[in-house]
Amino acid sequence: MNAIFSAIFIASALILCIAGPNAFLPALLNGAKEAAITCLTLFCIYSLWMGLSHVASDAGINDAVARLLRPACYKFFRTKSALGAQYAAMNVTCNVLGLGGAATPFGVKAMKAFDGEGNIFGRNLLFIINATSVQIVPSTVIALRASYQSAAPADIFAPALLTTAICTGMAVILYFLSDKLCRSLSRRSS
Amino acid sequence: MSLVIPSLFIIIITAAVAKKVNVFSSFCAGAEEGLKFTLSLLPILAAVFMMCQLLEVSGIADALARALSPVMNALGVPEELAKLALIKPFSGSGSLSLLTEVLEQYGADSYPARCACTIYASSETVFYVFALYFAGTNKKERALPLAIVLLSTALSTVLSCLLCRIL
Repeated sequence: MNAIFSAIFIASALILCIAGPNAFLPALLNGAKEAAITCLTLFCIYSLWMGLSHVASDAGINDAVARLLRPACYKFFRTKSALGAQYAAMNVTCNVLGLGGAATPFGVKAMKAFDGEGNIFGRNLLFIINATSVQIVPSTVIALRASYQSAAPADIFAPALLTTAICTGMAVILYFLSDKLCRSLSRRSS
Repeated sequence: MSLVIPSLFIIIITAAVAKKVNVFSSFCAGAEEGLKFTLSLLPILAAVFMMCQLLEVSGIADALARALSPVMNALGVPEELAKLALIKPFSGSGSLSLLTEVLEQYGADSYPARCACTIYASSETVFYVFALYFAGTNKKERALPLAIVLLSTALSTVLSCLLCRIL
């Protein structure tokens, strides 16, 4: 990220020096403004879902849900942290239900828990699952298509689901394989 | 589908009341956690969004889209969608506005519009998720998962268009 960030900043600044130096500062301020607006939107989502999840965990519901999925999560993410496995279980559940906004806070907490126990494998795997779009029902796009007078707004459901399934599956398999490769290489060298 | 969220609230709050939990203060405690978490994200998001704006304004994003469009064409991705496919990993709002442009220009049921919708629905704003999920974690071994995700995103673009043609 460091390299990408620096390269893009230097390259764009150089280009804008020639193409239009006046656009440089407004672009940066616009970016910061967009970040502030996004943060406010995120706070709306997080206060709602983390508030509800706090109530749920006080009522013992989180434990019950996670207990069902936790054994699978221990194995899949190779973790020993009970908290990490629980958050990962909640993250995956919310993702599958299409509650993308609710999934994020759990995901980030699980990432921290995995990272804390030095479980880089689990951390990276969870990121891969979340970054390859595990959404089942693309509700935003369907609503958008309906508002543009589509005859069949849910038409894209099947191709989108198939694409997501194939690509997420491929990324997970690829990570498993590369992890195995790294292990066998390091074993040979040591 | 629209009943899922209200019933979730009913179930959870009823269960909490039955267990004599102080629902209001518990909810506020959760919301406070949400506030702390959002505040910790703000600096990261500011930096990432500034970078995205620079990419747009300096014309680098456009130039990249133009340079890649022959490759995309060969893979069966309509020319108009090269930019969408490029912006999507960086900016959710940027790609959403591009998507509405395509819908407006070609009509919601046209082939390019259906491709655009599928591309949008089946990929994530990778760099945003990357910044969000890896914030505050150990810097070791981040590049490999990012590379795998970007590869899978590229595949999803091609696959979206292919499946839109078949299905």
